[in-house]
Amino acid sequence: MRRVIIPFAFYFFVLIINTPTALSIDKPSAILFRNKNTTTIADRPITFKNDVMPVFTKSGCNAGSCHGAAVGRGGFQLSLYGSNPDADYKAIVHQLGGRRINLSQPKKSLLFAKPTEFVEHGGGTRFAARDESAHLLLNWIEQGAKFGSDHHFVKLVISPKNHQFNASGESVKLKATAYFSNQTSKDVTKWTSFTPEDVSAIDVDDQTAKVTAHRRGRHIVVARFLSAVVPVELLVPMNDQRFPVQQQRLTNFIDTEILKRLETLNLPVSPLIDDAAYLRRLTLDLTGRLPSHSSLDRHLADTHPGKRKRVVKDLLSSDEFTEYWTLVLAKLLRIHVPNKEKAGALAYHRWLFEQVRKGTSFDKLVRTILLAEGDTTINGPANFYLTTNGPRQQGELFSEVLMGSRLRCANCHDHPLDRWTQDDYHGLAAIFSKIEIGQIIKTKTDGEVVHPRTSEPARQRIPGVRDLPIDSITGRADLADWLTDKTNPYFAKAIVNRLWRKLLGRGLVEPPDDFRSTNPATHPELLNRLAQDFINHGYDIRHTIELIVTSTTYARTAHANQYNKHDDRFYSHAIRRPLEAEVLADAISSVTGVWEPYGQQPVGTRAVALADSKTPSMTLDVLGRCGRDISCESLVDSVDSLGQTLHFFNGSILNKRIHLVDNRLGKMLKKGNTPIKIIEDFYVIALSRKPTNNEREYWMLQLKDLTSTNEQRQLLEDFLWGLVNSQEFKTNH
Amino acid sequence: MTDTDQCTTLSRRDWVRAGCLSALGLGLLDHFDLPTADANAASFSKRINPKAKACILIWLDGGPTHLETFDPKPNAPDEVRGPMGTTSTSLSGVRINECFQNTSKLMNKLAIIRSMTSPLGEHNFGTHYLMTGYKPSPALNYPAYGATLAHVRKQVGVLPPNIAIPKFTRNISGSGYLARSTGPFSLGGDPARGNFKVQNLDFHEGLNLDRIGRRRNFSDAIDQFSRKLDASRWSPNNPNLERAYNLIASPQAKKAFDLSDEPQKIRQRYGFGNTIGQSCLLARRLVQSGVPFVTVNSTGWDTHQDLSQLKSRFPNDKNALLPALDRGFSALITDLSENGMLDETLVVVMGEFGRTPKINVAGGRDHWPNVFSVLLTGGGIQGGQIVGRSDALGEYPQDNPVTPADLATTIYSLLGVDPATQLPTGDGRTVRVASEEAKILSDLVS
Repeated sequence: MRRVIIPFAFYFFVLIINTPTALSIDKPSAILFRNKNTTTIADRPITFKNDVMPVFTKSGCNAGSCHGAAVGRGGFQLSLYGSNPDADYKAIVHQLGGRRINLSQPKKSLLFAKPTEFVEHGGGTRFAARDESAHLLLNWIEQGAKFGSDHHFVKLVISPKNHQFNASGESVKLKATAYFSNQTSKDVTKWTSFTPEDVSAIDVDDQTAKVTAHRRGRHIVVARFLSAVVPVELLVPMNDQRFPVQQQRLTNFIDTEILKRLETLNLPVSPLIDDAAYLRRLTLDLTGRLPSHSSLDRHLADTHPGKRKRVVKDLLSSDEFTEYWTLVLAKLLRIHVPNKEKAGALAYHRWLFEQVRKGTSFDKLVRTILLAEGDTTINGPANFYLTTNGPRQQGELFSEVLMGSRLRCANCHDHPLDRWTQDDYHGLAAIFSKIEIGQIIKTKTDGEVVHPRTSEPARQRIPGVRDLPIDSITGRADLADWLTDKTNPYFAKAIVNRLWRKLLGRGLVEPPDDFRSTNPATHPELLNRLAQDFINHGYDIRHTIELIVTSTTYARTAHANQYNKHDDRFYSHAIRRPLEAEVLADAISSVTGVWEPYGQQPVGTRAVALADSKTPSMTLDVLGRCGRDISCESLVDSVDSLGQTLHFFNGSILNKRIHLVDNRLGKMLKKGNTPIKIIEDFYVIALSRKPTNNEREYWMLQLKDLTSTNEQRQLLEDFLWGLVNSQEFKTNH
Repeated sequence: MTDTDQCTTLSRRDWVRAGCLSALGLGLLDHFDLPTADANAASFSKRINPKAKACILIWLDGGPTHLETFDPKPNAPDEVRGPMGTTSTSLSGVRINECFQNTSKLMNKLAIIRSMTSPLGEHNFGTHYLMTGYKPSPALNYPAYGATLAHVRKQVGVLPPNIAIPKFTRNISGSGYLARSTGPFSLGGDPARGNFKVQNLDFHEGLNLDRIGRRRNFSDAIDQFSRKLDASRWSPNNPNLERAYNLIASPQAKKAFDLSDEPQKIRQRYGFGNTIGQSCLLARRLVQSGVPFVTVNSTGWDTHQDLSQLKSRFPNDKNALLPALDRGFSALITDLSENGMLDETLVVVMGEFGRTPKINVAGGRDHWPNVFSVLLTGGGIQGGQIVGRSDALGEYPQDNPVTPADLATTIYSLLGVDPATQLPTGDGRTVRVASEEAKILSDLVS
């Protein structure tokens, strides 16, 4: 906190006489202001845009909780974090009858008297009268309160931009340099605010910009000056001990990038998984199914050195892949049945299935969706425009799904941590307002959305890039061209990050719909390379999936060791992922051998294949499926709740299947298998591995004193229940 | 402050032990007469004599309008005043919404904070701030009140220490960085329905306790074998197996959930068909059975359109949200009072933010976190007072601004949880129960 204490007696004196019209503080202030140490600023012209605005941001005046609020504060409104200098200048220089500045008697300006609390200020004392901030404001007014100069702010550079500490407790001084259009630069460290993402991990000294790290790991500090926000990455190794990575196997560039990061962080890797565990992980990821007994045997018996690559290829070209990845993409696109009209959603799902089957390149798939017109019950992709309830929501869907960005923050104000402005948000919505919504989707000429700042129709706009001609009806095409252009900075990254997240359990950028400079990727170079590689290979999702699942990084065990057990984002070991509701439902059906009828679908239809995300099913409700009317990525994870466990104990989902006489267990018994053989087979079917010797011994012991077949069956039922409730079964690991 | 060293080493187990004593009627509070961990805690022990053993949070999900509940502006222009009238209360000069006829008579027991303020006007963010006392952070997910209490208190009996009726808000997980098992147990069904029952407490056909127990053991065994090699903090045992088993095994637990055990007269007092009301009644039963934290979650307060729906949705509507809340809440307070439980039960009514003072074109109000109201009673609250004021149009605090962090510090203190208590985050660090920068609202405390 930068508070300079004003001598008490003086402060008291001021309080007595402080009214805006009778500010007689010239004398004492003269003494205070001519402090030789700090008054060097008046030697150069002070401008509103380049010098005064940073004071507001640094002092918190234009924060959302103060004058930066959408309606201002105390009758005085500033744009949030200074996003609109023109409006702010007007508010200060022209509003309130000019009382905010007083050119003839600068110290009577409210702009000076309020934050220094010579006049009572709801926001308290922001800085003392002898602070450099106060000097700057006064100098600016003395010089005539000019708006700008011939040069403007271009960029902010923080040095160091990354810093690696050797241990926690160490500090580094940050320096902020602003560059202007006239090729000049200036040290603006003092006017830059530095905000750590995790205040318990990083301390920032407000005066000197010295940052101190208190915790191990990777930390982000966001620097803000004028309109610029810049992240600074600080690393503290996770261990004191070093773990060289030279011995580790590299399959492709993924491993290079991952190991680079692990080495800097002093994180050792966990070992690689065996063939059986790899096949389980891979089959679940690529098909949403457990590997069959026979495919497991085949894989284990295969002695070819390239057998993993082969099984990846086989799975990628399987119908099961198409079925499951249609679900994955349907969740991303939020394909659901709005208003009980199923035909459209079914057509959309069918179309998507066909694209996944054919391997349509992702840019083409998205272009088709964006440009879709016609009867939604026939032309599936046109249902994209029935996914939400209006052009603004459609713009949000577009930005979150296809750009990985949350434009919605820019609805009411320019995005405080990103580049998005209200013009971008409402401009994007304006593009979608030119679409007639109904069973028939078509372009129209008369749609509009109202820009809240101007109360006029918003100008159609490619977000962050350019306005479109007034009354343009080709907005969608322009948008699609821009999005799927090879140079688009968002599209490819947003998709590969989601593929990565699906397969590794955590996005390089997390959450996956919140890309912004202030939320940098854990592995920025890896993200760039994945995106570029995706583009180079024709936006082919199968290619990128193959690249990821054949990497060494993908094939590490989920078992952590004492040195990497706190790692949840650098991939030193695999991240355990709960099976999603549909996959778990199918796995339970498959292991028990009892399939559930879903709606009107034939028995044996898998939950992953259901086109309607709301097909009535208690099983899927209990397992916590996503209804897809809102983003499935923001769903609060409800698996493993006490209610679910109670259901597994006493509800019907499991008990019905387990107790059914001729379920898989019943058939095994009927064939005359011994109980221990049955247990071994269930291990293979459910966990894709044989029981260890210890496990076998344990089960033998349980089976020992059973005499009647009824007792045996009951014990096996209870074993089966225990198996499908184990974390080893319910997660992909 | 003396003997600081001894106290900084106060371990989690010590806290659990302290909580355990409290269950025996000795009170966690006695613990604070001992030298405490830091200056804040020391001042805490001097200022607060915690009485609350349990807390019922009536959560108005979506962000209740402060202008149509506890902070009406009858003298403001039409566009701010809104479509509803006000009623006087047993506290002279204090008026609240016209629908609160029963509540208004209890005003001498209630405290209303009218100067709550937060910068977060988005549901998830606001909910996180109000329910945890911390602003959401990308680095750490904080636990809500119920989870913290479940963590620091030793569980008494088999009932889950943190229960939500009918279910917890979907805006946050609740358990934050604490173990998932501290999170709220959502009962599921609507207690206002005649056939309401907590599902799956009774044995499925063909099962008995022995087999349920064996199933639990087998599941544990499989995980223990398979996780032997893993050093991560992830626990191999699913704690819910044990908790669910214990619930199923306990007839007393089942009885606590059974509303039909209440006399008709009492059920009627809370309002038949009134979801908030019957949820409040169930909350009272659970608190009576030793559950320290119950959330009554009422949805539908995100009134972007037509505020009058809060009062009546159709002719003769008795259970629109405002009258339903009035009936349920006033019945709860009367009931707790008659049972001698009010002094040891803290009741809090709040949501994630207030609503725009100016009515929008759809006749509703949008999100407004800058000022809003929270109501508290029982459990050590000094009733019959208004803390803080909003300005004339209900836009900002006029005086005495209170942050959700201040509120958290106060609520935890009233519940006998030292705000300076350090909780383990699971990744090796510890975090204070409530923010260091927050203050205790001593005016609120009796």
